[in-house]
Amino acid sequence: MTATTVPGVSGVDSGFWTRQRKTGVVLVALGLIAAVVFGLLATSKAARFAVGETTSGFALSIPGTLGAVLFGVLAIAAGAVLAATGRRFGLWTALSLAAFVASFLCWQVSQAPGTLNTLALGNLAKGSLELSLPLVLGALGGVLCERSGVVNVAIEGQFIAGAFAAAMFGTIAGSIWAGIIAASIGGLLISALLAVLAIRYLVDQVILGIVLNVFALSLTAFLYEQFMQKNQDAFNKPPRVPQWDIPVLGDIPIIGPTLFKANIFVYVALALVVAIHFGLFKTRWGLRTRAVGEHPTAADTLGVKVLGLRYRNVLLAGLVAGIGGATFTLLATTNFNKGMTSGLGFIALAALIFGRWNPVGAFLAALFFGFANQLAFSISALNSPIPTQFLSMLPYVATIVAVAGLVGRVRAPAADGKPYVYG
Amino acid sequence: MKIIALTVAGGLTVAAAACSQPPADTGPGGTTTSFSTCMVTDIGGIDDRSFNASAWAGLEAAKGANSAISTKYVASKSEADYEPNLQGYVSQNCDFILAVGGLMFDSTKKVAAANPTKQFAIVDANVGQPNVFPMQFDTAQAAFLAGYLAAGYSKTGKVATYGGLKIPPVTIFMDGFVDGVAHYNKTKSKNVEVLGWNKATQDGAFAASFTDQAKGKALSDTFIAQGADVIMPVAGGAGLGTASAAAGKYAVIWVDVDGCKSAQQYCSAFLTTVVKNMTDAVRDAAVKAAGQKGTLVTGGFLGTLANNGVSLAPYNEFDSKIDAALKSEVDALKQEIISGKITVTSPAQPK
Repeated sequence: MTATTVPGVSGVDSGFWTRQRKTGVVLVALGLIAAVVFGLLATSKAARFAVGETTSGFALSIPGTLGAVLFGVLAIAAGAVLAATGRRFGLWTALSLAAFVASFLCWQVSQAPGTLNTLALGNLAKGSLELSLPLVLGALGGVLCERSGVVNVAIEGQFIAGAFAAAMFGTIAGSIWAGIIAASIGGLLISALLAVLAIRYLVDQVILGIVLNVFALSLTAFLYEQFMQKNQDAFNKPPRVPQWDIPVLGDIPIIGPTLFKANIFVYVALALVVAIHFGLFKTRWGLRTRAVGEHPTAADTLGVKVLGLRYRNVLLAGLVAGIGGATFTLLATTNFNKGMTSGLGFIALAALIFGRWNPVGAFLAALFFGFANQLAFSISALNSPIPTQFLSMLPYVATIVAVAGLVGRVRAPAADGKPYVYG
Repeated sequence: MKIIALTVAGGLTVAAAACSQPPADTGPGGTTTSFSTCMVTDIGGIDDRSFNASAWAGLEAAKGANSAISTKYVASKSEADYEPNLQGYVSQNCDFILAVGGLMFDSTKKVAAANPTKQFAIVDANVGQPNVFPMQFDTAQAAFLAGYLAAGYSKTGKVATYGGLKIPPVTIFMDGFVDGVAHYNKTKSKNVEVLGWNKATQDGAFAASFTDQAKGKALSDTFIAQGADVIMPVAGGAGLGTASAAAGKYAVIWVDVDGCKSAQQYCSAFLTTVVKNMTDAVRDAAVKAAGQKGTLVTGGFLGTLANNGVSLAPYNEFDSKIDAALKSEVDALKQEIISGKITVTSPAQPK
């Protein structure tokens, strides 16, 4: 993780009021809002939290008002500790924010009409992870590319190419494995164009990425009209990835349904996060990648083949993002539709930046997006009094707040987007 | 070297632009007897398998009815495309310009006002211009029947609905659905709950997208977690996420076009469909306009249960699973709405 600590960032703060302490004060204020506002709005009805995937199983129960105030006070306490000590930033921030969300949920669940006052936490966790899967894989594709100095705005294009290929070849072969392999090749093809045009022909990488997105979206739309639309059963009916139920472990509250009643994509995404993090920071390839991304001239002087490494990383990125594309057609649904990636490639790009170009950071950022989305859905299913427009904004508002308040200054790899020419 | 690269990049965009052209669909334009009908889709695209697709089918049907009619369409990629697309068809001298969707209200009004002698038509809106033929549908009536059916079919006593965006052509379905469930509760003294829409506050669950099927699936998974067993997505393509994941666990009520025709691969999931008979409405309007070329078609069309402009589709694969008594109650309810004994109201209803 030391690689992400940038000299100079901590130098912004001075004296007693460090960034940590200031954040603590903000958290105390948020906790106060929770305790007072959510406390007042909550009803005395029980707020029930079922630990399983549905509301029918065992549920923790707390009177709404009590819960909202109690968790609000907890949020204040955690924030106060951070403000007072300025230490263990991550721990206290996470605790305080979690208590804030819990207080909010106590209000929301307790006000639900009729018998709706139960929230299935297993569903909340599982939905969050599932919604974040394409973002995780897309952002990892971004990490691979950008750490070696090539900007990857074409994630959306890699997604749609992967989604299309997965649907098409998954249907023809009748196998999810054929679909996943085809998806990674689809992503690879878009990446190959990106690599050649950016590295060989030095095209501006941001513009190139956008052009590739338009190209991939239109090409898949055209192929969809020519093949799939005319014969849905033969070309557009891929199998869905099976859910693997692991006995015993799958019954663990909350985490069980999320991690042990999961599918291949969950395990691939988690494994890739670990593998890419390890690779980047513990292996020779990773050191070289980072060197090429920060200072290609220096790396070149030391004998690293800059362009060869960039080609390899950009192609790898396409493979990973292509698998992300497969989640659209093999997991979320079982058909391809034009433009179905709905701009999520750009959200993955945002997760990459929000996660500071770090695999684990990008994973957490993507998870955060998924959680905010799923939270909005869960609340709207409880007939929430919060206007839908606000719930739809939630992921984005939360991100702006998080980026501005928690992440601090982010810094791209120094040579990101700058083509390298020998000599 | 840069020039080569630019050429390649430029070539890609040109290729992409070429790819987005629809397959050959232009008729023998230019001759005096021909009548060109031109459709601008909303952002769902021509093959959303519901809304735009059925309007397009209407134009195709008009071509079948009158061989002088030629058809073409342009797909809007974003809301910013509506006006240029409409304007483009004015410049191409189309005889009948069809704007599909209430989202095109402002653009259609503006372009039609600037070209008062040109014949326009719009689905799901009434812009109030004499040269724009409005086609509207009181879908709340059919959705009322669907709500009653869902309430009667549900084993868990919970049914759900969600929308793509909070716009009147979407919420009108949800209003009718909620009222249908309420009517069931009243007549049967039951307490079936509706998740995802509150008619009183006019607020509920929305995917904030008509294309993102992952969001559709996440929403329906959430409803299932809350105990619902019938879901009505009013979210275009995003609703396919709900249909594809049903797999016998829950029943889906589709909207706009019979699900067993528009999304055949998921036919086994569809309890029924709240049909908006756009195809016939568009066909009739286009044929009428072609028959009186040069004279503006006035009036408008309001689809109701009575004129079959809206209806409930056949139960298809669910036919044997629905109680015969429930079926006849739904039929009786339909007659009561047609006769005016029951009035279905919604703030989103066409006025």
